[in-house]
Amino acid sequence: MKRVQNSRFDLTGNGIIRVMKLAAFGKIVPVGNLRGGPGIRCLVVVGLLHFFGYPIYYINARYGHRLGPVKRIVGRVRKR
Amino acid sequence: MAFETHYSLRSLIGAGKNRSAHKKVFSFDLFDTLLIRRIHDPDLVKLPVARYISRLAARARISVGWQSVQRQRDQIEAAHRARTGQQFDDHEACYPRFMGELLEQLFGDSYSPGLLGEVTDFELKMENSMLVPRLELVEWLETLWTAGKEIYIISDMYLPATHLEKLVEHAGLSGYVTAVVSSADTFLAKASGRAFSHVAKKFGIDPQSWVHIGDNPISDGLRAAEFGIESLIIRDPAEEQRRSIVKRYYNYSDGKPFWRGRLLQQLMAPHEKENSRRSPLYVEGYNFIGPLIGLFVQRVAELCLENDIKKIFFLSREGWTFKNYWEKAVPILYAGKKVPDIEYLYVSRMALAPAACAVQGLTKTNASIAFLPPGNRDFRDLCRIFGLEAEKFSGILAKHGIGEDTCLSHIHDGYDPQNRKRFETMLEDAEFQGEVKRQTRDSNLALQRYLEDIGFFHHDKVAVVDIGWLGSIQRFLFEAVSHREDIPQCFGYLFGATRGIPYPVEEKNRIAGVVYDRDRFDLAASTLFYARDIFEEACRAPHPTLNGYECDGDGYKLVFRKTDDEIGRAELEQDSYFAPLQQGIIDSAERFGAAAALLGYEFADYKPWINSVLVNKLAFPAAREVAQIRHQHHLDDFHGQKKPKADFAKGFTPLWDRSQLQLKFDPFIRARAFFRHLRERINE
Repeated sequence: MKRVQNSRFDLTGNGIIRVMKLAAFGKIVPVGNLRGGPGIRCLVVVGLLHFFGYPIYYINARYGHRLGPVKRIVGRVRKR
Repeated sequence: MAFETHYSLRSLIGAGKNRSAHKKVFSFDLFDTLLIRRIHDPDLVKLPVARYISRLAARARISVGWQSVQRQRDQIEAAHRARTGQQFDDHEACYPRFMGELLEQLFGDSYSPGLLGEVTDFELKMENSMLVPRLELVEWLETLWTAGKEIYIISDMYLPATHLEKLVEHAGLSGYVTAVVSSADTFLAKASGRAFSHVAKKFGIDPQSWVHIGDNPISDGLRAAEFGIESLIIRDPAEEQRRSIVKRYYNYSDGKPFWRGRLLQQLMAPHEKENSRRSPLYVEGYNFIGPLIGLFVQRVAELCLENDIKKIFFLSREGWTFKNYWEKAVPILYAGKKVPDIEYLYVSRMALAPAACAVQGLTKTNASIAFLPPGNRDFRDLCRIFGLEAEKFSGILAKHGIGEDTCLSHIHDGYDPQNRKRFETMLEDAEFQGEVKRQTRDSNLALQRYLEDIGFFHHDKVAVVDIGWLGSIQRFLFEAVSHREDIPQCFGYLFGATRGIPYPVEEKNRIAGVVYDRDRFDLAASTLFYARDIFEEACRAPHPTLNGYECDGDGYKLVFRKTDDEIGRAELEQDSYFAPLQQGIIDSAERFGAAAALLGYEFADYKPWINSVLVNKLAFPAAREVAQIRHQHHLDDFHGQKKPKADFAKGFTPLWDRSQLQLKFDPFIRARAFFRHLRERINE
């Protein structure tokens, strides 16, 4: 027995890892028209959120107010 | 008094339970506390409402785009908030007031009070489709209510309490709530803290006996605490993760069309109580086949609107599922638009094949279609398919030098090309065709009576929708009635058109594949070739197949196949095995409609995602998926039981026919099958 949406908020049976595998395969062999495909950066971000989103948001909720210096560094890196 | 922040529902409910012994009143925030939204941004629910208003305006012959409607709504709402801010501490707005003003502005003389009701109903319907009650909080609410506590829902929202009550009722909470309070009614909100004093005064509540639960540390936490209310704040990392994922999919889908379909599925996904454990087949129905059918149905609707088609006939047994899906998804997806009427048509290849011969006789093309399945070999198979009595042709067959059991299919032992030529010569014999027409006349007459009865000939244009693959049902149907002057223009839409035998396209008879059409090169969608049968089995109606049409006095009779023989029992067994899959498909329909209505994308926007799903699930399936989804029995009376030559089936075994052992342990089997498929598609 399974849930339609798993505990990572991903689709059971067609999760993000499967999408990543197809995107990687599609870089070598034509798999059809994916209109530009998912994009590596998007895949990485979404993959991180599905797999590590909970601990990230837990830390943010719990200690977010103390993470000012870290957020400033991230902000500076993003601006570059 | 300070407020407490909790990082899980369990902890929050535990803290609440500790207080329940000495507190009499519990109040809850509604949005993002008792109810969560499927979408990350609540304002997105306004977009389908703007589209709906734009469609209503078009009906009243007023041309206004939905973006313009949305812009005007925002402006009017902002003006109302600014006006309220001059008199009150909070900048609140009241939905009936600003929406009424918007509609009056847009519709002018065509405005009527009923219009506001229509729009409000649609807005609440969209809100309901995007809201899910949090299971653990609902259970706690029930416990509190049973313990005799007073329970209030307090919300800072533009919808007045009467509207919020409808949302609360839809969520199944209305039985546990003393009163619902909205800032839209009094313009006293939690944000300034005025709502708490207003509620305390109105219901005579002592703040010392009151606990408030919400998600906003200012409105629900600080302001409540300032008023002397104990407050518990939920900050759930899992909810933040979920919303963040939806937000990413939404943002990415703007620039990368690939993600649009993925976003659609994210919005369709069940949450909380809806997301209970189900059979793996149910999950495949919900996550794989359901959305594909939804997008097919959406495209059919788009095509019908483009071609001004007013009636859709869903054909054969797969059409039953398409029709069910349509009924659940299309009303919300195309709310405010006049969509075609729909009807299920009882047809099958076996039932239509005889009727197709009554006017034109047995054509060479139709005979070729009959010999496509490898189980069909000789004239007897032809007679079985076209409803002919073989004995009555014995003289004609002898005249042309062939017999009832002469092999006419090249894939069977004993095939002689000369015999096939003799058979084709016989097809040109007027005596032979006369006998064919005589024998099939009644079937054709009964079919025409059936079609007249359901009003098939009352329309100028009709869409006939089927799963696929050659279009032979539509071919036979059109040939059976093509002699009539009142025949409508038939637009055939197939889930997948694998073709094989050229379709006789003409002005009144067209056919096109929607998800896949062999006439357009589409490598990803062509993976339907891997496992066409599973789509047929998954969509099959629960009634037996139609065997034919018979005249019954001045009327007609539909003759269904019996289910008490071996084939019938096997079919029932397959249906019962696929029942959870079908349930998953049907359960996904309503959420598909709501999610697609919210996003407003067209079929073409979702196609890249569909392509990736098809390649992933059909060309690169997991071994367990093949074991689960592969049909146990696939039955078709059109296919005979004769065995072709021993070397016919030799060669490359299709991926979905491979053993579990091969699928599990041969790491290159899928890639090999895909390269072969690629080569075949390029060479065809």
